[in-house]
Amino acid sequence: MTQTSRVKNLTASVAHIDVPPPKLQWMGHSMQWGTRVTKGEHGLRLGDLNVGIYGEIPQHWEDQSRRPRGAADLPGMPPLPYHLRSKHQVWADSAADLYEEAIQHRWIPATDIPWNALSPLPDDVERAVCQVLTELMQAANAELECITYWQEQMSYGYHEVKQLLAVTALTCARHIDAFRKRCLANGGGLGLESRGRMNRAILESRGGWTEAVVYVYVLRGFYIQNQYRFLLAHAHNAAERVIFAHCLADHARHMTYALDHLKYAINQQDGQRAVIQTLLSIGERTMAREMEEPVQRSALAVVFGGGIEGGRQEGMATWHALVRSAIHEYLDACEWLGVKRNMIHRRLNALLPSDEQLKPPARD
Amino acid sequence: MRVSDAPHLDLDTSWMERMGEWGTAAQPGKRGLTLEDIRIGPYGELPEESDNMSGRPRGAAERPEAYRIGGYTVRSKKEIWLDNATFLYEEALQRQWSSATDIPWETIAPLADDIEEAECALCTFFNEVEFVAGDVPARWVANISPDFFEARNVLLAQVQDEARHMDVFRKRALANGGGLTRVTGATSGFIGGIDLSRDFTEMSSRMHVSGEGAVLTMFRMGELVGQNPAEKRMYRLCAQDEARHVAFGIMHLRYLHATAPERHEEIEAYLDEAENLPLAGGTNPAGPQAETSEALAILLGGGKQHYDEGFRILLAIRKRQLKEYMQRVVSAGFGERFENGRSPVPGRIAELS
Ligand SMILES: [Fe+2]
Ligand SMILES: [Fe+2]
Repeated sequence: MTQTSRVKNLTASVAHIDVPPPKLQWMGHSMQWGTRVTKGEHGLRLGDLNVGIYGEIPQHWEDQSRRPRGAADLPGMPPLPYHLRSKHQVWADSAADLYEEAIQHRWIPATDIPWNALSPLPDDVERAVCQVLTELMQAANAELECITYWQEQMSYGYHEVKQLLAVTALTCARHIDAFRKRCLANGGGLGLESRGRMNRAILESRGGWTEAVVYVYVLRGFYIQNQYRFLLAHAHNAAERVIFAHCLADHARHMTYALDHLKYAINQQDGQRAVIQTLLSIGERTMAREMEEPVQRSALAVVFGGGIEGGRQEGMATWHALVRSAIHEYLDACEWLGVKRNMIHRRLNALLPSDEQLKPPARD
Repeated sequence: MRVSDAPHLDLDTSWMERMGEWGTAAQPGKRGLTLEDIRIGPYGELPEESDNMSGRPRGAAERPEAYRIGGYTVRSKKEIWLDNATFLYEEALQRQWSSATDIPWETIAPLADDIEEAECALCTFFNEVEFVAGDVPARWVANISPDFFEARNVLLAQVQDEARHMDVFRKRALANGGGLTRVTGATSGFIGGIDLSRDFTEMSSRMHVSGEGAVLTMFRMGELVGQNPAEKRMYRLCAQDEARHVAFGIMHLRYLHATAPERHEEIEAYLDEAENLPLAGGTNPAGPQAETSEALAILLGGGKQHYDEGFRILLAIRKRQLKEYMQRVVSAGFGERFENGRSPVPGRIAELS
């Protein structure tokens, strides 16, 4: 059917109805007529839109409606519960680019993982993989529950961050999806649930999004990142390799936003640095206890050591290397943020392995 | 390091005896390895009432000392479930698109001022309302027991879809000279609005069924509204996403209809409320408010000079919205209301015939 005949068909039954004359009061409100953004090498990206008034990102956004930044206001509308209305509470300059990058790098656990590459593993190794993934699933679940709790409270003035977090939450769901599929596709099952120390700390940090970011990403993020990295290095097959490679890349994006945001918050808000310092002092103890937890630690060691036997020596040595890398990255990040950690919690410090602990066992 | 501080870290293997059901080997099918494929054995069993307060993945072994950190308020299956959640989630992942690279932005060319302004008014409106459907599901996700994670995943995919809708309409508004116009306030904090619902099913009936249902019909008419291939594609891709969001609402209502007869009258009352607002109220772009309906009439007619013609197409779209709404409610199991005189919708359709 041509467009004209389609329209004729459509309107035949309403031809008898009188059309009220338009008032057109909605016209003439564009605050920047003549705006023409054009696409670049990577398409038309969210950040490209920040031109003229559309790129003016105010320090405070008192408007509690869904007025997009740069649109004209309609006074008199009842407010919505947007509680995060200051730029320093949410902002990171990288948010718009990370959003586009996340969309470009999307992947699909159902079809992008070569599931047929899975093959039976020794029972202890399969158990260890499934246990590790069960806890990682719970970590990703706490991350997404935390994000969605805060994201809907963020005001429209900082839509780039809301949009990035929308994608981030689905990314966490995708990780859970992939891990669950891996656990249930190779003769195993799920493991024992997490003790939940850091998950609790994350979900209890309700003082502000910035504070939650400290827990999710600075305190625990490097441990998660290193687990992905080491699991990638110890993957048993192409399916696991693809899963961990994607998770690592995704998580790196989440960490980039987090550190960018914290740097911004520290620079813009008096006293924020000291608050973060206090949070870290409290949180390091919880994080150390999470790392010490025998279940996840031992399961990782069994994976790295290729079984229970190898897990005792080589596996534990690899786990120590993982922890060392995570703590060093954590300390580097603190330094970059300008948050002093001269005296990290003794429990966390105690986890920094000695050279002896890092040595793989001598072989005959 | 003080030696006394060094924790004693032996290898523990006692957890190997405390895992979930063992021996599961799901096989990928034609659509890869989907969430449906791994709903097997005890891992596929959903509790009618979830007692999972620690956030463990469904089927993982319980640990008595785990913290009860979930705080979940939606814990009964009938409050949240729908039978095709796994399908909708997998489809959402398969059909993600990028507003940066999947829209042929180069096909946008200067338009007459009235048409450009009308398009921008509509884009501003969509920027305003798209993320209702992002904010609100996000608010519910952390309240829903992860035992129903498949349903949660559909909502999370919706949150991302809406972020992209907001983004594509902002891009369009700034790409061709018009810019954003004035907001309508359609999604302000009105009592009875989508935002403020206290019950999940009530929210879903307001948002998925009436609100997004009306938007879906309009997006499907994007061929008529769009002035160039970029706009037509933008509406087409958004319609694809909206269809999933609407399907969530219909399928959830259908599940509730089948499993919770004690709630039928309550649901009917939600539908009464929605139907008494003309055409889903201000969140319907083709609804009665002048800002969007006049803009749509200009776009549909091809300019102010063809306003009457455009307005008649708009009326036809409204009629189609009502008819499609009826079909959806019938499919959810609540169709009797259109025959027993309870619903004003059949009368409204007759007025437009
Ligand atoms: Fe949408
Ligand atoms: Fe939607």
